[in-house]
Amino acid sequence: MNLYLKNLCLIAFLLSVFLGSLFGIAQAQDGASPIQNLLQSHFKKLKRSSSKTIGPVIEAIRSSDQPEAKTVLEKWRAKELWYRKSDDLLVFVKTSDKKNYELIDIATGNVIASASKKQIKQIKPNSGVRALIDGALVFFRLGDEDEAVRLSALTSLNRDPKAVYLPIIQAAIAIEKVPELKAKMERMERLLSVQFEADTPKRVAAIESFSDDMGIDVRAALNPLLSSKVKVAMEVPTMLELARIIVPGESLKNDDGTAGIAQYYEWFSGRSPELNMASAYQLLLDAKLAPPDASVEDQKTALIANIKDGRVGGVDVDELNSQEARDRAYRSLVSNGLAPETISNEEKQAVIEEATFYAVYDEKNLAVIAAARKALKSINSKVSINRFFDLFLDAMSLASIYFLAAIGLAITFGVMRVINMAHGEFIMMGAYTGYVVQQLISNYTLSIIVAVPAAFAVTFAAGVVMERLVIRHLYNRPLETLLATFGISICLQQLAKNIFGTQARPLTAPDWLDGALIINEVVSISWIRVAIFVLGAIFFVGLLFVLNKTRFGLETRAVTQNPRMAASMGINIDRINMLTFGLGSGIAGIAGVAIGLFAKVTSELGSDYIVQSFMTVVVGGVGNIWGTLVGATLIGFLQKNIEFFNPSNTLAAQTYMIIFIIIFIQFRPRGIIALKGRAAEV
Amino acid sequence: MASKSFFMRNPSALIFILCLAGFTIAITVFSESVGNGLVSTSFLKTLGKTLCFCLVAIAMDLVWGYCGILSLGHFAFFGLGGYMIGMWLMYARTELIVIKASQALELPLTPQELADGIGTQIFGVVGGAKIPVVWAFADSLPIQLAFVVLVPGLLAAVFGWLAFRSRVTGVYLSILTQAMTLALALYLFQNDSGLRGNNGLSGLQNLPGLEAVAQADISLWFFWGSALALGLGYIVVKLIVESKLGNVIEGIRDDEARVRFLGYNVEAYKLFVFVLSAVIAAIAGALYYPQAGIINPAELAPIASIYLAVWVAIGGRGRIYGAVIGAAFVSLLSSWFTGGQAPDIPLGFYTVKWVDWWLVLLGASFVLVTLYAPKGIGGLFDRFSGGTKP
Amino acid sequence: MLKQLLLATTVLAATATTAMADIKVGILHSLSGTMAISETTLKDTMLMLIEEQNKKGGILGEKLVPVVVDPASDWPLFAEKARELLTVHKVDVIFGNWTSVSRKSVLPVIEELNGLLFYPVQYEGEESSKNVFYTGAAPNQQAIPATDYLLDELGVKKFALLGTDYVYPRTTNKILNQYLLDKGIAAEDIFVNYTPFGHSDWSKIVADVVALGADGKKVGVISTINGDANIGFYKELAAAGISADDIPVIAFSVGEEELSGLDTSNLVGHLAAWNYFQSAESDANDVFIKAWKAKMGEKRVTNDPMEAHYIGFNMWVNAVKAAGKTDVDAVRDEMYGQKFPNLTGGTAEMLVNHHLAKPVLIGEIQADGQFDIISQTKEVPGDAWTDFLPESAVLMSDWKNKGCGMFNTKTNTCVQIKSNY
Repeated sequence: MNLYLKNLCLIAFLLSVFLGSLFGIAQAQDGASPIQNLLQSHFKKLKRSSSKTIGPVIEAIRSSDQPEAKTVLEKWRAKELWYRKSDDLLVFVKTSDKKNYELIDIATGNVIASASKKQIKQIKPNSGVRALIDGALVFFRLGDEDEAVRLSALTSLNRDPKAVYLPIIQAAIAIEKVPELKAKMERMERLLSVQFEADTPKRVAAIESFSDDMGIDVRAALNPLLSSKVKVAMEVPTMLELARIIVPGESLKNDDGTAGIAQYYEWFSGRSPELNMASAYQLLLDAKLAPPDASVEDQKTALIANIKDGRVGGVDVDELNSQEARDRAYRSLVSNGLAPETISNEEKQAVIEEATFYAVYDEKNLAVIAAARKALKSINSKVSINRFFDLFLDAMSLASIYFLAAIGLAITFGVMRVINMAHGEFIMMGAYTGYVVQQLISNYTLSIIVAVPAAFAVTFAAGVVMERLVIRHLYNRPLETLLATFGISICLQQLAKNIFGTQARPLTAPDWLDGALIINEVVSISWIRVAIFVLGAIFFVGLLFVLNKTRFGLETRAVTQNPRMAASMGINIDRINMLTFGLGSGIAGIAGVAIGLFAKVTSELGSDYIVQSFMTVVVGGVGNIWGTLVGATLIGFLQKNIEFFNPSNTLAAQTYMIIFIIIFIQFRPRGIIALKGRAAEV
Repeated sequence: MASKSFFMRNPSALIFILCLAGFTIAITVFSESVGNGLVSTSFLKTLGKTLCFCLVAIAMDLVWGYCGILSLGHFAFFGLGGYMIGMWLMYARTELIVIKASQALELPLTPQELADGIGTQIFGVVGGAKIPVVWAFADSLPIQLAFVVLVPGLLAAVFGWLAFRSRVTGVYLSILTQAMTLALALYLFQNDSGLRGNNGLSGLQNLPGLEAVAQADISLWFFWGSALALGLGYIVVKLIVESKLGNVIEGIRDDEARVRFLGYNVEAYKLFVFVLSAVIAAIAGALYYPQAGIINPAELAPIASIYLAVWVAIGGRGRIYGAVIGAAFVSLLSSWFTGGQAPDIPLGFYTVKWVDWWLVLLGASFVLVTLYAPKGIGGLFDRFSGGTKP
Repeated sequence: MLKQLLLATTVLAATATTAMADIKVGILHSLSGTMAISETTLKDTMLMLIEEQNKKGGILGEKLVPVVVDPASDWPLFAEKARELLTVHKVDVIFGNWTSVSRKSVLPVIEELNGLLFYPVQYEGEESSKNVFYTGAAPNQQAIPATDYLLDELGVKKFALLGTDYVYPRTTNKILNQYLLDKGIAAEDIFVNYTPFGHSDWSKIVADVVALGADGKKVGVISTINGDANIGFYKELAAAGISADDIPVIAFSVGEEELSGLDTSNLVGHLAAWNYFQSAESDANDVFIKAWKAKMGEKRVTNDPMEAHYIGFNMWVNAVKAAGKTDVDAVRDEMYGQKFPNLTGGTAEMLVNHHLAKPVLIGEIQADGQFDIISQTKEVPGDAWTDFLPESAVLMSDWKNKGCGMFNTKTNTCVQIKSNY
């Protein structure tokens, strides 16, 4: 296949050079450079470049030996190649105002004319074409002086590995000085050998060398070696490259080409059998091993064609309103020779069971098949363990987000017994504070450093104001608190809409939070999530410390357990309540910044988390920071696990999680970690 | 209990029924269908829907104002009632269309072809063609009507039994009910639920077989139906709260533990009130959605149930007419303000647009009512009539 | 008191009916709620178009009067407001709706009262109402060409269809699934996932998509993810270090307006398919953008549904002029075959199935939040019933000659005159 492609390129190239010499030069302007002539000969394809037809053109430019070839390819790739509409002259351009352009000759680099925007047109290669250009540029870049350019060549080579690269990468390895790059090149060489090496022992050795490399590129190279085709025969086949025997409706295909049993696996993995009954029968039909069956449609057509005086096959047309009656009419048509014979479902079933369905590897080299199977088996078992670990990290991350969203609530609800339905709106306020700060301070790192305390301050103040104005008056009426805070929540949400609009606002993370912590090829987690996790951990430890080791914490706990007694001990209950509420709200504000960073800032941000937050607190157990931690972990892990079993429907995971929690609370109404004694009474 | 003595003992109920009857007659006289057309059909629909809101508010008042269970999930029952009647409306209408289209065919339809035709028509828009199992009885009006009561009733019974049995009370219960309606809404949002996902059921204002009847007439019928249901609902709830049963549930509201120690099976009483309230809500929903024309899962979102609590709180808890006033007043005012009919207030530097500020106002007034007027608008009535209701 | 209040509102509603001789244009776009972000722009577009038309002297010597109502992103309220527009305000035409649900909600009312609605947003097809003109893209004018682009130009062999869980993605993905199967893509090479509105936890889904590449086939993502959820999705893609060169994402619901809420530097090269981009080069577009920015401010962008309203409104104006009156039936007859230059350089034409013929554009996201148009087709006629699903392939819509929007070509019968809601 690849040899064929190579030849094709060569032929196309020769042909293009030939055609170019025939017509191209004749068309081109007087004194035009050879590169211009070469490009002009392909102008039509260049102008509306499609990756289906552009391959030979790129190859022609690359192998043209023109000194400008590399520059032209690079400029073309960067969408910096233009042409003049009047004479199709290809140029580079320079402009200062995007209206008037200076045209630059592609060979000499001299300014040759100027033109307005309307007189010239940009050539825009699509990303498919750009990938092909990248492929051609590998030839130039692999030997480039700049290390970064060599690395980029390696990346584009990896995106579209071809046999032609094998010799040039071997040449590049020989002269490479940078050790890391050299190692990467050697890996690339082995990867190419897996696919294109002609010498079997070398190829097998390359395959075996990858048996504990989980790279997606490795799997992408190995898996095609084990691609197979499904076939059918009446007796069990005996060829050596047999991949698997298929049981229609039951067996499924494993990654290494062997057969697995789906029956019990199917309902939770979502993987369905490789071959269903209908396709199995179709295969038999295609192989002419079974008689054709008449579908319901065919049957109908035959019946309609034979209607005579309101009757068909001895049955009144009006009576044909059931399948049974139609079958009867059809059978009588068949017996009169008016319609083709058909077979019943039972007969179909029998034919399918009699035949053998199997798959054959496309690869014919048995040593390669064996090596690839072995390597893939070891890789896949490693991958599945690591995917489990990745899921674990995802769940941890989700748990930490829930924890962050809920921890403020755990303080106000858990410690103070105050239901704050506006808690979500405090989270939103924090996120918008972050957004406003980022509008004022353009340095992302600095703005985040400022935003966190600012968000705390804003929501702390809002919390204190709310406590003073509303909550204070409702301390013994929890249901009323719930309603009043709902009112506040509605107000705040609408105010945010009025001030910031309904459009989502960007809250951009600094560069050092971009990207992901990559543990290996399978396990990775974005830095923002790591940061949220760390933030959650800090809050957890910090709050434990504050509540257990400080005077304020002692007083808070005293007020929690018995307000009257605490008051008589000289604790200023009003002050403690106010500060605790402020603290809970302030934490929500910081959580808002974190959540805004990883998702989005909208006025509905808070309401997305409020129910989950309450669930977290209630499941974990009220009045206890440990409880919130346990609750968040449980909910996070539960949701990810449901998602894992049902990957195509995220909504289902949320639904079932809530139902689970509702049922869970029936059995542990006080949560996992329940307080005992008087404090447990709400 | 003879009705005469009932009204004698409850003059407020008599006044309410008379007001409702007078209102219904007045609107009928002004309607497009039989009257002079002063009330447009679109406004008639709004009024009919408002009556349904009043009915669900009564249900809410029964469970919250009298029994002290703050349910933040009553729109789950309201919506389910709508879904149950909506299934029949959609199925029967589509069935007629499919049958009509089939008359031009050479062969009569088999049951399978009929089902396929209906399935494609109903579920084509959500990428399906098969009729899901939950639609098994959608062709039968009596069964779906029974479902209007049974399905939400069963949900309330199971949920209530679980919750009350494990003594989940107060705010916990409120949050749980909220979770229930959220879970139900999320479930219905999925396509796999078989109720057309986010699209919901639509075209419900067209009654099967009555294509020839003008919407002006149908709207009036539903308006009458809603008024009748509201009147009956009012009387039923009034009967309950005035009975000995009513005394017990009010006792539960005020001190649950004490009632339990007196030997009452508190859970059974609560469950009865909760289920009854859910059933009334479901009936209101079944009347509401044919007037609205479409039901979808967003209707069951937690915020809707919270607004219900807002209506009842503003109208005044623990008095049935309070719930009615609250629901009518707030929902009509709401639609007036958000409908763009309220004039903007230019302040020179800023123009107050009611579309933007109405919710702020509503939220704030809700806080104020909770803080300073826990009896709501109904409390004002008490003051005028010198009543001594709690 | 209740009675008084109700009567007071009745009177208010009634006073609004005071008849005026002018031509009334109803605008039915949400100005509050979740859809306000998208729909408010369209309301402003309509006001701008009406204003400009009035400057030219209105139509038939009469001024155009806009009637704006707010259905508040509440689907049942759309039906109520549509009825109000048609019966109370007696508008001659309605421009409105964004989501398919809201359109389905309005349909029965419009059909009952014989109104006229122009619907400007790309949608899932499978519908053709006598009373609606669909100026947005049908699947064959957006989804299918975009998929072809991935298949042919980018050589994608394995597809992830990611969508928000609602009607448009569901139906579009169903059509695309069948289309890909027809194109020889194996069923196991198509990964489908639905997420709720506003979804933010994308890490696992992105990891799943990356893992699709394990068998050496090029992976592409077709995204019908709606609104805010896109932000988290693109952020997670960027964090996972996936560039458009590795896994290209082509989106059907991400336009200039959506990108203005995002830092696009990480998204450069990802794709979107529309019938219009602000970066389209034509004189008409320059004029349109200039007028828009003059009215709304320099920072505002134009997008595809705005162009749809632009075309729809102008076609309606011309149809009214041709008919000499605003009567719905007369205008409808004049609409067929109406031609109007679109903003991307060609000419849009209204077809007998109430859909437009429009070009399909594919753009790459640039760092400045605009799209670089890298592919533009000729005008593609919109297809009401997709050819790629067996049950729809036999259906066609021809209101002019057959008087039917759901005509079964196999049995030669009209399935129904009204729409399925």
